[in-house]
Parts: sequence; C-alpha cells; structure tokens
Amino acid sequence: MANNIAKKVSWSGEGTPLLNGAEERRYSGQPSGGSMFHIGKMSTVDLEEESVTPEEDPMRRRPSEIPHNEKLLSLKYESLDYDNLENQLFLEEERRMSPMSFRCLEICRWIICGLIGVLTGSIAFFIDILVENLAGLKYDVIKEYIDKFTEAGGLSISLILWAVLNSAFVMLGAFIVAFIEPIAAGSGIPQIKCYLNGVKIPRVVRLKTLVVKVWGVIFSVVGGLAVGKEGPMIHSGAVVAAGVSQGRSTSLKKDFKIFEYFRRDTEKRDFVSAGAAAGVSAAFGAPVGGVLFSLEEGASFWNQMLTWRIFFASMISTFTLNNFLSFYKQKPGELSSPGLINFGTFDSEHVQYSLYEFPLFICMGAIGGILGAVFNTLNYWLTIFRIRYVHRRCLQVMEAMLVAAVTATVSFAMIYFSTDCQPLKKGSPEEYPLQLFCADGEYNAMATAFFNTPEKSVRSLFHSPPGTYNPQTLGLFTLTYFLLACWTYGLTVSAGVFIPSLLIGAAWGRLFGILLPIIFSTKNSVWADPGKYALMGAAAQLGGIVRMTLSLTVILVEATGSVTYGLPIMLVLMTAKIVGDYFIEGLYDVHIKLQSVPFLHWEAPATSHWLTAREVMSSPVTCFNRVEKVGTIVDVLSATSTNHNGFPVIMQASSSDEPGKLCGLILRSQLIVLLKHKVFVERVRSRLCRRRLQLKDFRDAYPRFPPIQSIHVSQDERECMMDLTEFMNPTPYTVPEETSLPRVFKLFRALGLRHLVVVDDQNRVMGLVTRKDLARYHLGKHGLEELDLAHP
Amino acid sequence: MGVFKGYRCVLFLLLWRNLILGEIFVHAAVETSEDEELKPPAFKENIYFSPLSLSLSASFPKELEMTDYCLELMHDFGQISASLTSCLVVNARPVKVCQNCYSLYNSLQDIYTNISTGMGPGNESCQESLLHADRVMLLYNLYNSFENIWNTAECINCLSSEHLRSVSNTTLYFIDRLNQSQTCFEKYQQGNHSELCVECRTSYKILNDLYSGMSKNKSLCIDVEDAMNTTRRLWSKDFKCLLKREENVPVIAVSSFMLFLPLIFYLSNYLHSEQKKRKLIHPKRAKSSHSLMNIQDKYS
Repeated sequence: MANNIAKKVSWSGEGTPLLNGAEERRYSGQPSGGSMFHIGKMSTVDLEEESVTPEEDPMRRRPSEIPHNEKLLSLKYESLDYDNLENQLFLEEERRMSPMSFRCLEICRWIICGLIGVLTGSIAFFIDILVENLAGLKYDVIKEYIDKFTEAGGLSISLILWAVLNSAFVMLGAFIVAFIEPIAAGSGIPQIKCYLNGVKIPRVVRLKTLVVKVWGVIFSVVGGLAVGKEGPMIHSGAVVAAGVSQGRSTSLKKDFKIFEYFRRDTEKRDFVSAGAAAGVSAAFGAPVGGVLFSLEEGASFWNQMLTWRIFFASMISTFTLNNFLSFYKQKPGELSSPGLINFGTFDSEHVQYSLYEFPLFICMGAIGGILGAVFNTLNYWLTIFRIRYVHRRCLQVMEAMLVAAVTATVSFAMIYFSTDCQPLKKGSPEEYPLQLFCADGEYNAMATAFFNTPEKSVRSLFHSPPGTYNPQTLGLFTLTYFLLACWTYGLTVSAGVFIPSLLIGAAWGRLFGILLPIIFSTKNSVWADPGKYALMGAAAQLGGIVRMTLSLTVILVEATGSVTYGLPIMLVLMTAKIVGDYFIEGLYDVHIKLQSVPFLHWEAPATSHWLTAREVMSSPVTCFNRVEKVGTIVDVLSATSTNHNGFPVIMQASSSDEPGKLCGLILRSQLIVLLKHKVFVERVRSRLCRRRLQLKDFRDAYPRFPPIQSIHVSQDERECMMDLTEFMNPTPYTVPEETSLPRVFKLFRALGLRHLVVVDDQNRVMGLVTRKDLARYHLGKHGLEELDLAHP
Repeated sequence: MGVFKGYRCVLFLLLWRNLILGEIFVHAAVETSEDEELKPPAFKENIYFSPLSLSLSASFPKELEMTDYCLELMHDFGQISASLTSCLVVNARPVKVCQNCYSLYNSLQDIYTNISTGMGPGNESCQESLLHADRVMLLYNLYNSFENIWNTAECINCLSSEHLRSVSNTTLYFIDRLNQSQTCFEKYQQGNHSELCVECRTSYKILNDLYSGMSKNKSLCIDVEDAMNTTRRLWSKDFKCLLKREENVPVIAVSSFMLFLPLIFYLSNYLHSEQKKRKLIHPKRAKSSHSLMNIQDKYS
C-alpha cells in the first residue's frame, strides 16, 4: 500500500467536522504506512507536503518505486476523443456536404452494423466448429487409451498422455498470446468495458489481436483448461466492429477507401459497442442481452437510433451463427442453435417453480455471492502475485502449461478414484462415456463432468434426469473445479470465465437440489428435478463473480429460452450482487483496477463534494499561443517528462508568468499532423503549401498517429510560426475553479470528455482536468483515497 | 316424454344385448383356444356384423353402410392385430419381440396399407369409412400404438434390410455368441466365480466387443440390448468379474508429482524472479495551500 503519498486527504462525512473548531493536523512521519488518521470518530484532514518543513521532507519522500498494487493509475492509458472537434475545417466540410450525403452516411451505418453481425457470427461459427472437432479428436484418443489401459494395466501412461496433450495445446495458445499479442489474454471483457468507458487501451481493437484471440481461445478450450469460449467472443465482436467501420486495416496496410467519415473515436466507439453486443449475442444466442450488455457496460451516448442499430447487429450475428450451424449439422434452415452455448429448454412439467421456492432461490443467490467473493479474492491475490513475479513471457507460457497439466491430472485422479457408476442410457448426453472400473454398460459419472468440454458438462448438469449424479461426486467436482477455474483465470491465455462460473454454479446448485428433499424429508414433486436448481446455482455463481445485473438476467433468460424463469433469475442475481459487493468488487472491476486503468464509474465517489476543480486539476498547464513558434511546439511534444495530449491555446499573455486567456484547445495528434504537413505561416504565405489541409488528412493518420520523433523538423523550420486558429477546437468545455468534483465528474462522464479546462473569472487558464485526475479518487475503507500515478 | 321413453327402451335393449354377446364371446374364446392355439376367436363367428343383429346401423341408408370389401379388411385387421398382441405379450420378458413377431407385424402393415391406400373392386377406398369415420378412430389408433411400440423397440435395426422380412445376419450371429457365453456361464456357475471369470472371459469379451461394434453401427434393437444388459448384469453384479483398481500407486505417484510442479514453479519464481516495480510519477498540482485553507474554512 502506497498510502504515504503527498497529498492525501481523507474525509469521512459522518463525523463531526473538527471538534471544537480545533484544527487537527497530522503529519505522517513514517516512510510507509497509512497517512490516514482517525482519532476516535474525528475526521482528519491530512495536509500535504508543501507545508512541511524542509527537515522533515527527505524522510517523507515517497519511494519512487513500489511493488505493483491495485492503487495505481498507469500512464500508458489515454482517453478516447469522444467529443466532436468543431474546428473550422469541420465546419467547412459540413458546409460542403449535401443532405443526400448525410442520408448516405446513415445507410452506411446500417450496412456496417450488418457486416459486423455477419462477421461476428462467422467467427463464432469458426471457433465452435474447430473446438468441437479438435476436442472430439483429443477425447477420442484419450478415451481409446484409457479403455485399453484399464484392462491391460498402465493407466498412469494414459494420465501422462492426457496431461501432455493438454499442455501441448495450451502451450500453443499461451505462446501466441504471450509473445505476439499480450492484450489478447483473458476474456477481453474488462478491456472492452474500459474501451466503452472511454479509455484507449493500446492495441485492443487490432486485427492481430483478433487473430491471436481466436486461435488462443481454440487452443485453450481444446487444451482442457477450465475456461469458456464465450467471453472472448465479445472482444472478437468489438475488434470486428472497429475494423469494419474503418474500411481499412492498418495491420495489413490495406485501405478500401470506404467509410472514411467514420475514422474517428466518436463513431468508432459506437460501432465497437455494436460489436460487443453482436459478440454477446453470438456467444449466448441472446440478441437482447447483447444490446443490454452494451448499454450496461458502456456507451455513454445512448440514443434510440444507436440502440436500434446495435440490436440489428446482434440479431444478424445470432442469425448468421444459427444459419451456419444448421448447414454444418446438415439441417439447413433449421435455426435451432442460436448461440455458442445452448442451455437447452426448460419446459417440462418438472421444472416449474412455485411461490414458496423463492426463499430458497434467494438463499442460493446469497451462497453464490459469497462463493463469488471468495473466487474474486483468491483470484485477486493470485493476479497480484502474477503481475509481480511471473512477468517474463516464457514463465507465463510455462505457468499456463503447468495449469493445463495439473487440470488433466486432477481430473484424471477424480475420475480414477470415483466410484459413482451410472447406467448408460439411450440418448444420454455423454459423448465420451468412460467406463474404467464400472460394470459393463455403466459409465463413470465423474467423467461426464470432467471428461468433456465445459459447455457440454453444463448442459448435462442442467438436463440430466434426477439421479444421474451422486451428491459426493457433485461436491468434489464443485470444489476442484472452483479452485481450478480460479487458478486459471488470469493466465496468459485468451479464455473466458462465464462457462467455468456457470459450471461451478450448476454443480453446487444441483447438489443443493438433491439435498433439499433429504433435508426436508418429503417427496414433494416440485423438488424432484434438480435441474432448475442447477440453473439457479449457475446464475448465482456467475452473478457472484462478474456482478452484472440487467444484461446477465436477460442473457440467461434468453439462453434458457423461458421467460418464466425471469423473476427467479433476477432475484438470484440481485441477491448475489448485494452479498458479493459487501466483500469485494466484481472480477472484471478487480482486473481493471489491477491493470491500473483510469476507469470512470457512473458516479463520483460519494463523499467528494467538498473537493473542487482547483484541487483536482493539474497545474500549471502547458499552453500554446494562438500563433506559436514551431520550435516550441516540437520541444514540448518531444519532452519525455510531459506526455500531454491536449494543450489549451491562449491569447498572447501580456507578461510571461501570468496565465493567458483561453481561446481554444488543440490535441497532440493534430499538432503532429500539422508538423508533418508543415503547415507553417511562412510557407502558406509563400504558397509553398500545395493545398490547404483538410479534415481528411487528420482522418488518414487516425488511429496511429506517428510519434513526434519520426517527424523531422529542420533548424530553419524551427524558427517558423504555426497558426493554430483553424485547427484548434475554439469552444472547449470549461469550468470555474470552484466547481465541485461530482459536477466535473458528471460533465466528463456524460460528454465523454478528454480535457476540461479550468478557468478563473477572467477566462484565464488555471488548470486542466483529465481522466486520470478524476479517476484517482475512490472510496476506500477509510473514506476518500487517492491513487498514485505510475509509469507503465 | 314419450320420445324419451322410446330412446330409453332402445338403449336398454342395446345394453342387454351387449351383455349376452359378451357372454358368448367369452365362451367362444374358451372353446376355441383349446383346439386352435392363440387364434383370435370371436371374429370367426362374425357376430358383430351379422345383418340380423339388432343395432343402430340397421336403420342407416344404404350408401353410408360399409361395403363387404371393407368389412373383410376390417376383419383381417382384427385377426392379425389380435395375434400380434398375444405374440408381443408372450415375448415381453425376456424381450424377444423383434425376432418372433416381425412377420405378424409385417402382415399388419400390409393390411393397414391396403386399408389406407388400397382400392377394392369398383375403385372403392375404405380409408374414410374405416380410419377416420368417427371420433375414436379405433383402427387408426390401434395401428399407431403398434407402430409406436415397434419404433421404440427399434426392431428395424435387427431385421435384414431387404424388405425387413427376416432377422439380420448380425443379430443371428449375436444370438449365437450369446448362447455360447450362456453355456459357459452355466458350466462354471457352480462353485467359485473367479474360475468363471477366467474361463468365460474370452467368450464374454467377444460378445461384449460385438455388442459395442453393433452399437456403433446403430444395429441394436431391444432384443439385443436386453439380452446384453442381462448378461452384463450377470457378469458384473452376480459373478463380480469386475476389473480391479490395481494401479493406485503409480497413479498417485504421477499425480502428486504433477501437483508438486506448480509449487516448485511458484516458489522459485517468488525467490528468484525480480519483483516488478512501478515507477511513481509526481503529477503537477497547483500549490494548494490556499485551497486547503479554503477547505478548512468550509468546515470550521
């Protein structure tokens, strides 16, 4: 904990403010340890370093290097420019465009959304088919060996074979992720959540990421890890959307010269939210759930037309997958498998529920919340350990291989020592029934849970008739799978956490359902089928881990295909979220924090109204004059200490130390384009510039603006002047110094701002508020806390 | 009221007649079952359809009555379905339905096809009058239930593919192997079962493999499945010829080795890997001494 930072102010609202009017000042004397002081119930305002006497200063200097922890903000993350840049070029372009071309743009948006749907659905199909076939091949080989060795002896050889096969697949998957594109690790949902929040995660929506993601998922699922392929679909959909909407690929250096209007963050982010929705929709066969997922996780600007377009993309995506799968299963036109995971339908008589079961469901929700909190806490410690100690790439690959091998070993040991034998039935879901030491015509029940892809295990837990699983089998399975899934999430493989959570939940839910009649010792027919309890358990566990609410309810309802279950699922998810939030945040939020992403939540921290823009802002601000010397600009841009992206443009200040009056804002990316095209006043005058710069030039450079180092500016040119008037944003948003933090926050969150200029009453630039200035405040255990900024 | 009474009279007559008929039926059944085995008895007399019999249909106009051709078809259908029923029941346990009743089922199918699609003399069809004339649709439902049983039993898989007129060769071979195993079981049943397990293993294994092969080819019907289930139960449950867990030691050894690896991995990483440090940055902030004064002003 790096709490001994310079300016640490804590205020817990409920205390009496400063008893007897006495000022309570405390200086932290230790180099480490908390600087928050609570004496009795008294709230404390801890002063900052500047007021400390020089003798104390060296002692109190914070260490410049600290071990990684969750209370950091990384500098490598930038904001997206969601705000429309209304400079003169933009106005000119708008004037040139006819009403017809605006209509064409609207049509283009629809076409893009359709394309997003089709491509996302196709990717889902590709993943599904490859996973199914490769996993089938693997299980067939292992099953053959196990059957052979059961009789002949030498089962440990088949154990080693299983472990080696798993490790080999996972090695491939981890290798491409670790060495080619590390951002493709994990489920990708935290990254997409950040992107939709307005944070530019480097390389998150590139084609390379998509390729690595898709192959990584295939290998890790085939490698038998406790992972699912659903989460990565959302990331894949987002990448597809970002790629399609730009009409070009910078990785392939191919420009189709279409959709050029959409080459900016505002439009791209809308399409990315459509892509994420399409991904959810393809993963779960839940188009409405997909739309709600995008709504819940991102898109601040939400209007009716955008929603409608996103819904269109979702529908097309699930339809595409469905259609392809129907052709693959040689029943063309029979659209019965809308998603990657198919929960099957719960429509028989046995699975109805009645009013008095609601307390039971709520109870399950609470269990799910607690188990989810345990999962997240364990994973949190593990992730911190991984970031601190397992950061070399080959070590990451090794770790993934080890996990794969251990997963195989544990599964094998479980199956080997299990004595739960069940008769083989016709039409039962066991695709690879292992007999081992069971009687002929029976199979090992533990093997249905472990010796299968997780999706099929989930379905088996939901729909197998009562009596298919022993309570011991389920209990042991829950425990081991819980630990395995917790260990697996956060490895350097691309894989999701949805399916493992569902599987854990379904296992203990079914156990719950089996134990109910025993506890109450009745033969109530409502409790006869544990399948619905498996469903509720799955919902509770998933809700307890990821803490999604609305979208998850709809996704589950759509995936089970029965609206009747809407109410119990909602109750379960609510309870799970309430209980879980009491202990720790959701898994995605934990990982976002551990990545040091400046993530803005819906609201400012609750007790922050007393903080004003003056305390929040960065100051002094690096400003440019309206007509600035090229040399100054180049120097500022290439200075390593300042990596600012937005520069207020001011009127020429009368004196050098007085802040100038604000007249606009210009971005680093614009300056770089200007420097590249050498738009200098002298050159324009001497007609050296062939043509005027257009908005198109800025779009062509988007999204990968060259670094300042790659732009050569000669010594002569350094003396030239640059007129920024045309290019700057003449009406940046500003706030007075006295604005409270929640007000600033609201502006930021609602408008998707990147820079907010703080001015005094004479419109002079006093400071600049950026995302990182706001994201550093958060409500900790001891009131308002502040995060540190750190280098990546 | 008078009309009502008249109806009652007719109803009473009908009931009474039914009673008598039922008696005759029973007697006839008893009589015939002695000399002709399992032949459906009552239909021979054709009492139900005798023109003398007192029934409602007597008063219907001529064109709504059934033709002789249809009556004959109905008669045949009744006979064959009765014999099929008795055949099914006799072969219910242990299940030998497919082997023994397929010919009857085939003839039932033929009759039904005749009824539903065939044309009699004078291009008359009996489909309407026999199958869908009333709400009960007796013949139709009867046939459907037979067909249902046949499909559930999956007898088609055990019959040879040419017109389904005989038991397939695979099934015959399976029955042959089954008999061999059973002979072996009977031979060693007395005394120690472990001897049986050793001696009969080969024949049982051939049978078991044959069965697995057939299940892959989807050439299983209920006869085969039931016979195999019984044999397997005998083998595993009664004679207890199960495989033993004999490799606990190597499996445990390999497993614990595997489980040990991550421990070493994490420990060595913890000890030897360089801990990742983050460099902190001091952000530019306004000298906020006066702002702090403001805060304190606000709250004091």
